[in-house]
Amino acid sequence: MLWAFCVSAHEMTPAYPILKPSHVSGVVKVEMSLFNSREEIKYYQIELFDLNWQNIPFSSTYKIITVEYKAHKSFDVYIRKVDLDEAVYLCTTSKVKKTYESSTLISSRICSRLDGMPA
Amino acid sequence: MKYSIAILSLCAFPALANVEITGSVEAKCVIQTTKSGSYGNPIASKLSTTPADGGVLPVMRYDVSIADSYVASITHPTSFSSSPSLTDTVAWTGSTSVTQTSVAGMSAYEAAKTVVGNTTNFNLTLAGSTWFSTASSAVYGSAKPLPGGSYTAVVQASCIAK
Repeated sequence: MLWAFCVSAHEMTPAYPILKPSHVSGVVKVEMSLFNSREEIKYYQIELFDLNWQNIPFSSTYKIITVEYKAHKSFDVYIRKVDLDEAVYLCTTSKVKKTYESSTLISSRICSRLDGMPA
Repeated sequence: MKYSIAILSLCAFPALANVEITGSVEAKCVIQTTKSGSYGNPIASKLSTTPADGGVLPVMRYDVSIADSYVASITHPTSFSSSPSLTDTVAWTGSTSVTQTSVAGMSAYEAAKTVVGNTTNFNLTLAGSTWFSTASSAVYGSAKPLPGGSYTAVVQASCIAK
């Protein structure tokens, strides 16, 4: 019932993604899904961080993805196995548009955790 | 003949089977932007989202499906993302508070929040919805009037898996 009233939301799953082998040796794949119901937002940036929020290198088809209003988008993130010990947070951040009125804009960011669920 | 009819009538019964519908609820966080804020300009040198200053507080709603899986981390602005050219410094202040909850126990989030720099963290220990609002104020250096034009600042609302 709660979710039915969402009219302007950013959602990313899974919270604890499973690392899968990729077609490239030494590289693993993470499959993610993003839902955009923020009408004013069209672009989301994918980022990968360590525990101290330092950037970790990764590969994806696009680092900034287009997600239309009320649309789901699946995307894969490729991470080198040598970086896996460091990689913790996989995040998507909404990119806000410039406006011409004095306002505060809200940039939403959702982060999944690659090192598993808390014990 | 009677036996044949009896056998055929048995075959005419429709086949019955139980079809199961399965589902699962996994940890999920949804950030909803309930209200974008706007700055009021109560005095020439100040912009503020506080309603008493003519502003509107931005409101974000966090929906979490599983208890104790996420941290809400909300950062109030410390710079304008767009503004007219400014030649003096701007003094920023801000804060984030819980304004509404779907579960009574969530009211404890406010007392338990931690503030690090300009970021306020809330441990989302219960499943359900929580509304947060962020106050933001910018005062131009030496009480100078702010140049005319539009000013925009960004509140960063993060939901981070624990």
